[in-house]
Amino acid sequence: MLNNSKQKPNNSMDSSRSAEQKIHLEITPEIPIPTFLTSEIQSKLAYVDEWITSAKVSSDKILVEITPTGTDDKTSSIPEVVKEIEEKIQQVVISMAKGSIKPKIQLLEDYLDRAVYYHSDPMDELFRRGEIGKEAEGIYSLGPFLSGLINYFEILFTDLAKSFEAIPYRFPTLIPARYMERVKYFQSFPHSLTFVTHLREDLNSIDSFAQNATCEGAELNTPLEYFDRIQSLLSPAVCYHLYFLLADKPLPGGKLTATAVGNCFRYESINLNSLERMWNFTMREVIFVGAKDFVLENRENARQRMEKKFEEIGMAYRVESANDPFFIGEFRKQAAFQSAFQLKFEIKAWLPYKNSTLAIGSYNYHQDFFGRSLNITLPNGSPAHTGCVAFGLERIAFAFLAQYGFDLTKWPDQIRSHLTHV
Amino acid sequence: MNNETLTSLADQVQKLIAEAFQVPSDLVTPELAFGDIPQWDSLGHMEIMLRLEEQFGVKIDSDTIAELISVREICQHLQELRYAQ
Repeated sequence: MLNNSKQKPNNSMDSSRSAEQKIHLEITPEIPIPTFLTSEIQSKLAYVDEWITSAKVSSDKILVEITPTGTDDKTSSIPEVVKEIEEKIQQVVISMAKGSIKPKIQLLEDYLDRAVYYHSDPMDELFRRGEIGKEAEGIYSLGPFLSGLINYFEILFTDLAKSFEAIPYRFPTLIPARYMERVKYFQSFPHSLTFVTHLREDLNSIDSFAQNATCEGAELNTPLEYFDRIQSLLSPAVCYHLYFLLADKPLPGGKLTATAVGNCFRYESINLNSLERMWNFTMREVIFVGAKDFVLENRENARQRMEKKFEEIGMAYRVESANDPFFIGEFRKQAAFQSAFQLKFEIKAWLPYKNSTLAIGSYNYHQDFFGRSLNITLPNGSPAHTGCVAFGLERIAFAFLAQYGFDLTKWPDQIRSHLTHV
Repeated sequence: MNNETLTSLADQVQKLIAEAFQVPSDLVTPELAFGDIPQWDSLGHMEIMLRLEEQFGVKIDSDTIAELISVREICQHLQELRYAQ
């Protein structure tokens, strides 16, 4: 319950709006939060209300910072809104924690004890060197040094793809809304979607936009009615495009290995953080489509081949079972299902500066979900199984710098020699 | 455990699954398995697991969830738990 006595003295609530006012809440969850769920629930609190600007969750306590912005459409007084927020937070806790099933963590590789040579946040040095430009939250431009490092990892992953004789594809950045509907993406990950629109084909609207469009802070001042209804989204993953390409027909030859790289978009609200968690990032995938054994064997082969590659460059990391960040309503069931059937394993690189790990890639098996949803059939008429191995290019470069730093004499020879701009 | 008890258990499981998936109970045969009907997808599977825990007062762990992928296996597992008690 909201406990006014626990609020910081300078954050007392009143019914007037103030853009700078911050309110700190300490909430006792109605049911205890299992430790394996604290970070999952914490990340979801970002989506509870636009006023929430930070949250920290432990088993018996939730600390939330609320910043009334005065720019939204709330008509209630601040105390009323705060009470609503607290109630919504309790709903999230109950929805995700009540009856939750503890995931079985399966550790496939553990090389976290490999030597590291840097213990600071690479962002500081990258900014100092002018190697990154923050255009907006979660949106970064990268300079030649980082681009060269990412290019090295791209070659590493395309070599992996070649070892499977993967067929190269190129996919668009936009993805039709009706495609995402078909694979139930709206139910599973509504919070991270990024929508695309354009001005309506209406001369008055376009003229008015041209004459009046300005930004107020980061936001365009254009009325929403000027924009057309949404038909497309920015693609959240690469492999979806392949599955749609294969939809509603038999899979030629009964199996396919493909590879593609692409821009991906996942909105993460206040969780957006440096190169660790970007809104717009780049993903290289190797994708397997075929019978169950074909997909599972190739996923395992890919893991083993990558284990050797990571050993060559001395990355400190581990590979362990994981779940996708399903939204609140589906989280409990979907996450438990993924864990039980070992559908996802993440490559978690060590970040020495924060004594933590960062997922830089994953080995995924979707069973026949896409085969069934999209009617991709094998020669015997059964739905195809799919799987993919995926690597976040900015993230792996960031994790590498977090471990090796900027003293190139410490770097593995093959990476140092690859860089042309240092 | 006598045959009457077994039948009763199978009937209860059949009823539970039919209600969870909102399908006729005669569709829920012992052979019905994960993926056989659209309702028995990942979410549907977990819905069954949670209902089994609630109705039969058992705890189904992460390992077991992946094994209980047909009506027959669910019944067998519940039987084993009853013998173990």
